[in-house]
Amino acid sequence: MYWLSKKRYKIGLLIPTLLVYCVFIILPIIIAVGYSFTKYSGIGKARFNGLDNYIRLFGDRFFWISLKNTMIIFVLAFTLLLVLSFLIALLLNNKLKGNDFSKALIFSPAIIAPIIVGIIWTYILDPSVGVINGFLDAIGASDLKQMWIGGDTLSPYSIAFIYFWQQLGYLVTIFIAGLKMIPEDVLEAAQIDGATGAQKVRYVIIPMMRTTISTVAVLIITGVFKIFEIVQQTTGGGPNHLSETLVTYSYSMTFTSGEYGYGMSLATVTFIISLIITGIYSFLTREKERGAK
Amino acid sequence: MKNRNLKKWLSAALACTMAAGLLAGCGGGSDEATTNEDGEVVIEFGIHVANPQEQESVTYNIVQAFNEKYDGQYQVDFRAADTETHSKNMQLAAADGTLPEIFWIEASEAPEYSESGLLLDVSDFLSENPEIQEALGGMENAFTDDNGVYGLPYQSNVQGFFYNKAVFDEAGVAYPTADTTWDEFLEMVNSLKAAGVTPIAIGSKNSNYAMWEFNTFLERYGWTENIDSILDGSEKFNNEDLVKCYEKLKALADAGAFPENIATIEYFDAKQLFDSGEAAMFGSGQWDCAEFDENIGENIGFWWGPKFTDSEYNQDTGMRVPSAPLGVSAAVGEDDQVKEAVYAFLQFYYGEEAATMSYEGSIFPAANYDGLTASDTQYAMNAMLNEINLGYESPASAPDLTVSSAVQTALYDSMFGVMQGTYEPAAALDQIDAALANSN
Repeated sequence: MYWLSKKRYKIGLLIPTLLVYCVFIILPIIIAVGYSFTKYSGIGKARFNGLDNYIRLFGDRFFWISLKNTMIIFVLAFTLLLVLSFLIALLLNNKLKGNDFSKALIFSPAIIAPIIVGIIWTYILDPSVGVINGFLDAIGASDLKQMWIGGDTLSPYSIAFIYFWQQLGYLVTIFIAGLKMIPEDVLEAAQIDGATGAQKVRYVIIPMMRTTISTVAVLIITGVFKIFEIVQQTTGGGPNHLSETLVTYSYSMTFTSGEYGYGMSLATVTFIISLIITGIYSFLTREKERGAK
Repeated sequence: MKNRNLKKWLSAALACTMAAGLLAGCGGGSDEATTNEDGEVVIEFGIHVANPQEQESVTYNIVQAFNEKYDGQYQVDFRAADTETHSKNMQLAAADGTLPEIFWIEASEAPEYSESGLLLDVSDFLSENPEIQEALGGMENAFTDDNGVYGLPYQSNVQGFFYNKAVFDEAGVAYPTADTTWDEFLEMVNSLKAAGVTPIAIGSKNSNYAMWEFNTFLERYGWTENIDSILDGSEKFNNEDLVKCYEKLKALADAGAFPENIATIEYFDAKQLFDSGEAAMFGSGQWDCAEFDENIGENIGFWWGPKFTDSEYNQDTGMRVPSAPLGVSAAVGEDDQVKEAVYAFLQFYYGEEAATMSYEGSIFPAANYDGLTASDTQYAMNAMLNEINLGYESPASAPDLTVSSAVQTALYDSMFGVMQGTYEPAAALDQIDAALANSN
């Protein structure tokens, strides 16, 4: 392995990866940002129009609606996923009867393609032919029927729940892997010192799981800003863009309305917002980790 | 040491080979031969469906007949993708100069292709083939600008309300007629609703373009007369006529004319409601004729739509209009051999033989020849012919195809917004005005 440690070999090995990263990640971002300062229909030449797209964006009602929807989904999904996936992982980490079956059951939605998840939940939530409203009708509780999707209020909450359902198993698995990394003797020592279950979680498990928790949190944040298929399949962003998220609205403007420049300004703002939220979270957790040392 | 050097050289050689392979892969395509191994000139036909044989069987059969007729001389191959993907692919192909020789273009995008110099002016084709020009009956005018004739209609679109006579009979409601007024139509909707059927099947999820039946509404409120002055800024979409038109959509929504889950079903789901007899009417066009022949048979009826007594515009209008155009890539003009092949295909596609094949497949061809008619078992097409035989005027282009993509999307959004109760008529029309202002 000696020859690999030479500087020129390190550079040589890094270059292909860096090239791929630059060409497929950095360059498209730069191009997208460039287009966000233009008026471009996708045909012919793009025309520079300065900050017009960004000025339009701040006065666009549907941008604010899609931002609000994205934030509703983010807050709900972040809270539910982080807390419940951790608690379920704690439960499944014990030696219980039917443990393996439960793990498989919880993980199963994660292996279903998002577009199929959307179709499944459309059949459950559809206001006319959906299972939930059908059940409410069957038990004589028709007054409780709601426009779970397709109305002007509940769609983002429903989408957050669907995303939660889909991601739960995946995140539980990451937490279980993190829990397995905690040495048994540390937990035994806490037990001998008289720590209760809750105290073990609070003073031993959570501090030792900070890195895993941070990873899961970043996965949730970045995941929420990429939710696309679920929205497309359940509501298509409708009615009238009322259930759009930032990503679907950007897609709609770019490819349906043929406003590439404006669509790219929406994509750029989405990118910046997700960077800021991830950055804030990383900064806050890094401070805590330092404090914990 | 020697062994290690050998490994290094081997690795370097492999890397170079791979890189060269990648570069070769990227570089291919632009220099493709125009003839295949049989010496046939190959032209590509970019089509807006993923499976032409299944989804555009008439066009598929015409292409096969052409390939058979010109075996050894010309060959047409499809470049197929669903409509949205096709549109994106064509834009990308336009950017890197790999447009197919002939391709279907979204009507709202076609003028931009022309303005960008990407399309061939086919005026010379029409002047060389006067019988085809006559058979097109002026439909090519919808795709003419300062650069000439940049496209020819793919088909002739006939749009309006299909209705299921059996559902009407069961509900005890009389069928609509050419003289049915708006008030009578609203009464009809109320009666159908009271009988427990969905009066009009329609869905907006990922398909808010599916508003064809309402093009007649727009036309009967003066769309064609006013659109130029709206687009040049001297008038607004939010005007007295269109507000009245949108109020009719609102009245239909208030009467419960549409499915409760209009926002979560697509065009295909809505069609399924109609096919299965759960809905009485469905807005669509001739592309669905064959399906309705199979599912509804002799019970299918077709109607242009209601007449509005509060409109001063011509009410004797129908919607037999050119569909989206077929364009020819400007690059075709640079190669005589390819141009000859493309023109031979156009001559065949718009000729009488292809028109006959179209009728047999329940599709109205863009080129109309005397003596073509539907058979007795082509129920849906015959129902359409009954309406066409009323002799009503049709606009040069369907209203929704007279505006740019951004304005068109806003038009669709605004109509469905009113139908779904998220907009009041005037506010909905303001949205189109805003889209127009942004696109200028």
